Amino acid sequence: MRKISSYHRRKTIRTGLLCILDILIILIWLFPLAWLFITSLKLEQDVVSRSFSFWPEHPTWYNYTKAFTSTYILKWLLNSLFVSVLTTILTILVDTPIAYAFAKIRFKGRNVLFWIVMAGMMVPFQVLIVPLYLQFNSYGLINSLVAAVLPRVAFPIGIFIMKQFFQDIPDALEEAAFIDGANRWTIFRKIILPLGKASITTVVILSFINAWNDFLWPLIVINDNIKYTITVGVANFQGTQGTQYSLIMAGAAIASLPQIIFFLIFRKQIIEGIAMSGIKG
Amino acid sequence: MIPGNRDTRDGILFSLPFLVVFFFFMVYPLLFGLYISFFKWNILSSPTFIGWKNYVDLFRDAKFYSSLLHTLEFVVITTPILLLLGFAMALVVTGKSPMAGLLETVFFIPYIFSMTVVATLWAWIMQKDFGIINQAILLLGGQRIGWLTDEKYAMWSVCIATFWWTAGFNMVLFTAGIKQIPQEVYESAEIDGANSWQRMTHITIPLVAPTTVLCLILQVIASFNVFGQVYVMTGGGPAGSTRVLIQYIYETGFQYFRMGYSAAMSYVLFVIMLIVSVAQYAVLGKRKEA
Repeated sequence: MRKISSYHRRKTIRTGLLCILDILIILIWLFPLAWLFITSLKLEQDVVSRSFSFWPEHPTWYNYTKAFTSTYILKWLLNSLFVSVLTTILTILVDTPIAYAFAKIRFKGRNVLFWIVMAGMMVPFQVLIVPLYLQFNSYGLINSLVAAVLPRVAFPIGIFIMKQFFQDIPDALEEAAFIDGANRWTIFRKIILPLGKASITTVVILSFINAWNDFLWPLIVINDNIKYTITVGVANFQGTQGTQYSLIMAGAAIASLPQIIFFLIFRKQIIEGIAMSGIKG
Repeated sequence: MIPGNRDTRDGILFSLPFLVVFFFFMVYPLLFGLYISFFKWNILSSPTFIGWKNYVDLFRDAKFYSSLLHTLEFVVITTPILLLLGFAMALVVTGKSPMAGLLETVFFIPYIFSMTVVATLWAWIMQKDFGIINQAILLLGGQRIGWLTDEKYAMWSVCIATFWWTAGFNMVLFTAGIKQIPQEVYESAEIDGANSWQRMTHITIPLVAPTTVLCLILQVIASFNVFGQVYVMTGGGPAGSTRVLIQYIYETGFQYFRMGYSAAMSYVLFVIMLIVSVAQYAVLGKRKEA
């Protein structure tokens, strides 16, 4: 009896210690984010003051209103939204048909073509920036949001993810539809797209996140402050506003709000999407 | 297989939209970039063919070497630490910890923030005069450290911000890998008296090896591509001590408009990355067979 109860007590103590350790880890890992928010609620003179205080003495939303009124932050958010949505739509439009072709259509040269497309994954983007810039310059598209979108549409990883998924859709469904007189396009729309929804969702999420977080290319291709995407805008905050840490942190908080909401809604799909691209990629 | 089909025609039609995009924004610029690298090419004057001169100049350019060195430094520091961190997090998250689910979310959260937000946040945390880290050091009676302004620490500071930002990504990959290991393997090992350390070293680590290889390859590529964090946190400073190769490519091409030289540099980086990737495949592939 006693032996069992001491075993239980040891177990309880262990669980308790683990809990404390977990909470400690969580607090440390989340601290930078908390600090971002705390700083954003302070007045700049309290932030750069010689006497350090952890909590804001006079919590204020002043930096937030200032971010909205003295910078184009709202415009930058809308620009990023535009770029990300357009990139995602175009990516799905061009990637799903070829993923279906790679998965189900036995055409000549399919394997060679597939490996050429997959080799595209190996090309680091910075190799393309100079030629792309000159290309867009000759199209007269420099300093436009469309230029920020187009090079990001070719997304080989997305094709790979969907192809793997489409392959597992039974051929019998397609054959039955063929016998009923459906053509490829109908089969693609009525069978493949609905049944492949999970993989398409993954690609939507990954391509949206990639487009939203893109930095180097929009930095190069967009010159006007008002046309910046949010990532470039936040990076240039210091340049345009001087170094006001509380304002910068408020800007960072505003810039992150859409991502936080996006994450709260799609948490499961985002994590699964990454795991999926990892396991099968 | 399917009667009366027109596979070749359909295959081409369904592939075509992507192939157009792929050609215009991947294949063509890739070849065009190579072409540019043999020219003295800036936006204002007309390009002149100079053969291998850009490449020859490059190998005499001290700034190129130092930038390459900083990129390699970043790769060598971040790759092992990020793999270990990701693996350790995955162990915690898949383990018996009472808050495993919450921890998974918490570890992953920094990754959802964009690089510029993470970099500006850490630049503030590590700020010399008013940053919270130095405030804490002062409270403990120490001296301020120039995390981002001292050559000794700047690269490590950028790396630390990167650890916090991306370790959660590797955790997700490792967690998926660990979850694929059948539970029975652990159970029978437990029956045979293996302790948790032995279970980790004899079951988890060997069986998760394919994921480790994948993580390693992805991580090396990602680390070679480092630019944003450095650009935002230190601007390449102090005294160019954190300037990485992509920053030099960017500056050469888009601040000094030496497009040809910039293109040549990006091709050299590409070739280095290809060699490293192929070497990784060769070495790790061989080991898997053995």
